[in-house]
Amino acid sequence: MRRLKIWWVWALVCSVGAAHAITLIDDRGTRVTLAAPAQRIVSLLPSLTETVCALGACDRLVGVDRYSNFPESMRRLPQLGGGLDPNIESIVALKPDLVLLAGSTRGGDRLRALGLTVLTLEPNTHADVRRVLEQVALALGVADAQRVWRGIEADLQAAAGSLPARLAATRVYFEVNRAPYAASESSFIGETLARLGLRNVVPGSLGPFPLLNPEYVVRADPDVIMVGDVNFVGMADRPGWRSLRAIAGQRVCVFTPSQSDVLVRPGPRMAQGAHLMADCLRKVLP
Amino acid sequence: MPTIALQARHLCARLGNAKVLQDIDLDLPAGRWTCIVGPNGAGKSTLLKALAGLLPYTGQVTLMGSALERLPVRQRARTLAWLGQNESCPDDLTVWDLAMLGRLPHQPWLAVPDAADDLAVEQALRATQAWDWRGRTLGQLSGGERQRVLLARALAVQAPVLLMDEPLANLDPPHQADWLELVRRLVVNGTTVVSVLHELTLALHADELVVMDQGRITHQGRCDVHATHQSLEAVFDHRVEVHELHGRWVTLPRRQI
Amino acid sequence: MTDVGRQSRRAARLVGALLALGALLVLLGASVGSTGFERVWQAWRDPVAWQIVWDIRLPRTLGAWSAGALLGLAGAVAQGLFRNPLADPYLLGSASGASLGVALALVSLGVSPFAETWLLRVGLTGAAFGGAVLAVLLTLLLARGVQQTLRLLLAGVIVGVVLGALTALVMLFDPEVMQSMQAFMLGSTSFVGWTAWWLMVATWVVCAALTWMLSPVLDGLSLGEATAQSLGLPLVPLRLALVVVLALATGAAVAQTGLIAFVGLAAPHLVRSVAKTTHRRLIALSSLMGGVLLMAADVLARGLLAPQELPVGALTAVLGGGYLLWLMHRGDAMAPSRGS
Repeated sequence: MRRLKIWWVWALVCSVGAAHAITLIDDRGTRVTLAAPAQRIVSLLPSLTETVCALGACDRLVGVDRYSNFPESMRRLPQLGGGLDPNIESIVALKPDLVLLAGSTRGGDRLRALGLTVLTLEPNTHADVRRVLEQVALALGVADAQRVWRGIEADLQAAAGSLPARLAATRVYFEVNRAPYAASESSFIGETLARLGLRNVVPGSLGPFPLLNPEYVVRADPDVIMVGDVNFVGMADRPGWRSLRAIAGQRVCVFTPSQSDVLVRPGPRMAQGAHLMADCLRKVLP
Repeated sequence: MPTIALQARHLCARLGNAKVLQDIDLDLPAGRWTCIVGPNGAGKSTLLKALAGLLPYTGQVTLMGSALERLPVRQRARTLAWLGQNESCPDDLTVWDLAMLGRLPHQPWLAVPDAADDLAVEQALRATQAWDWRGRTLGQLSGGERQRVLLARALAVQAPVLLMDEPLANLDPPHQADWLELVRRLVVNGTTVVSVLHELTLALHADELVVMDQGRITHQGRCDVHATHQSLEAVFDHRVEVHELHGRWVTLPRRQI
Repeated sequence: MTDVGRQSRRAARLVGALLALGALLVLLGASVGSTGFERVWQAWRDPVAWQIVWDIRLPRTLGAWSAGALLGLAGAVAQGLFRNPLADPYLLGSASGASLGVALALVSLGVSPFAETWLLRVGLTGAAFGGAVLAVLLTLLLARGVQQTLRLLLAGVIVGVVLGALTALVMLFDPEVMQSMQAFMLGSTSFVGWTAWWLMVATWVVCAALTWMLSPVLDGLSLGEATAQSLGLPLVPLRLALVVVLALATGAAVAQTGLIAFVGLAAPHLVRSVAKTTHRRLIALSSLMGGVLLMAADVLARGLLAPQELPVGALTAVLGGGYLLWLMHRGDAMAPSRGS
């Protein structure tokens, strides 16, 4: 009889503990369980760092990767390497109760084997950003995800609204890299362009970031070119590009590296990225 | 025409940290065939290379009366032809092209081969019985055939002094006999031939023998003289014997029993 | 009964075949673009299409020809200079030097406006060329001259590895640079224009003339250093001149088209599998063969997945390597020699 009572007490305690446990399924399909909302977080992906901060939990971050640079305070945290070379020892030494990383980050299995709780999340589309917000909010034990998302949505609407009607259906070419790698309709950047009502000269059927034949861009003759400033150097000298209406008419949006970060990262600053594009468009197409 | 083709005075050479040639004084007569013999590691190849100016040495070497260092490089190349030991052989050249390389010292810088070059190469290839396969590539030849082509390359230089290091490698006995004939004819025509041979019986066919041991010359003299035979036996620790056979000299290993 | 003219005739036939193939590939290259294959004479009637053919496709195709020629020439020189059939033009560290030059240029673009104006004038191509030449100079310094081939080879390997590691470090700290470098490392003729083509052709003419004059040295070296010396060849200054040719040819090709592997290695072997000649003719043949190889790869790279492009370097490896494998299988490339 006493043994049965002990068993009941134990079951009660466990279930009470379990009620506070958080269970998530991450992007790899793994079930991840946290005993309590995470208080010491390591993030190895810039967009995940920004997501944590957007949910108001910036102070819970104890370590980030070397590429996380927003907000500024992130640079003062211990830098733990990058996606290709995370410093396993430093991560473990920080005793985090949650590690956030992307599917392409190496070392995830090693960290799991060392007993850390690892959540694999990789936002690649607009819908992903919302999903990741919700997952991270769950892990943090904050209820803000819906509010933050509504804010982003509203800001996106505002950006779309800020474009006059005559600029709708402007044909845009977004160059990610000087190879040239372009952002197609199916990429994150492509989705932002679509939200703004703009047309992308690179169709989504080519994949998110196709390596294009530069001749394709000459044939397509976009109205506006968007590019990072490092890649813009020498663009007018490319054979055949001088005749492009965007280059001849100086309708090129050149973004600084910090602006490029906002545009390229699928994270909570996506509305800011949309504003950057809209502002630039209004400037070059008066 | 000087009587001494190659002369060395106080010749020393090192390979790495080891002193390989120790204070060598040597006079090699012109228009004669001299053979250098000795046990392994005596410095025979090193001596030959030093005389050809192909490795650094201290002391003096004189070629046909002029100091070797002061001769312009191309003139030296026209005066002294060299055939090395185990020369590397590019598989892709034809026999003709390889033999033609011997004419490089005679060709002005941007020139194409002329009639004189063609004639010299033809003579060299015929002398080594390689004329019939002058269109074949070296990769298609056997070791002995390749050696004859390399010899033809050295002959094509038509230099008054010819230095050869182990030229009989891979040659079968009939071709060794051919080589002896060839050297005889060269000497009759006034060429000075100096060779390093380890086949002692064949070496004794030469006019003069230079016996070396441990970087020094122990004896230099004519091949048909008894003193030479004795020094030859001595340098090989009396493990060989020199005997006369039909007016020539042969060496045989001494039985130990 | 063998005929000494047989190899000469084979060489002549090879020249003819390569020239004809080259002309065909130029025509193909002018027809293949972002819309796949379209016959070039159809483009004649449409001014926009014709402008694309003239401004973009022709210089790219001819650029591939001249870059391939430079690499083929450099490969023949490298294999003759080092007497090693596995030598390629990047042996003296020029590839790593060019990569580091481009990486540093890309990094400095974001950092300093002074670098930006300087870079606008010189361009990334200038940075790549400068990097390649400086790397070879570094190799020469490390090897203390060209007296010893083995030391030169070793120094080249060291410089290549060290500069490659430095490039990897730069890319790690700036992922933007890493993405831009990818295309450079895999090679592409994307932005080769008429000026680039002129530069490459001029460099090829200079290098080919120099090498043609120095080809007796390469032939003599194939007999070994001692014999080459005995033939009156002043090895040290002539080897230095050959190293300069190697640096110039490789630097010019890499600057315009990035790192394209295998052309320099395979072209001389492909030539020798058909005709055996001295270096005088090998230089021209190897250039032609390299040009044809790179042009074919470039046309395929543009045409297979239009409007996307494949990296040209991957295709040269497949084409050149595949053919060499087939040759080896047939036994022609490595004929076993008879015994003595």
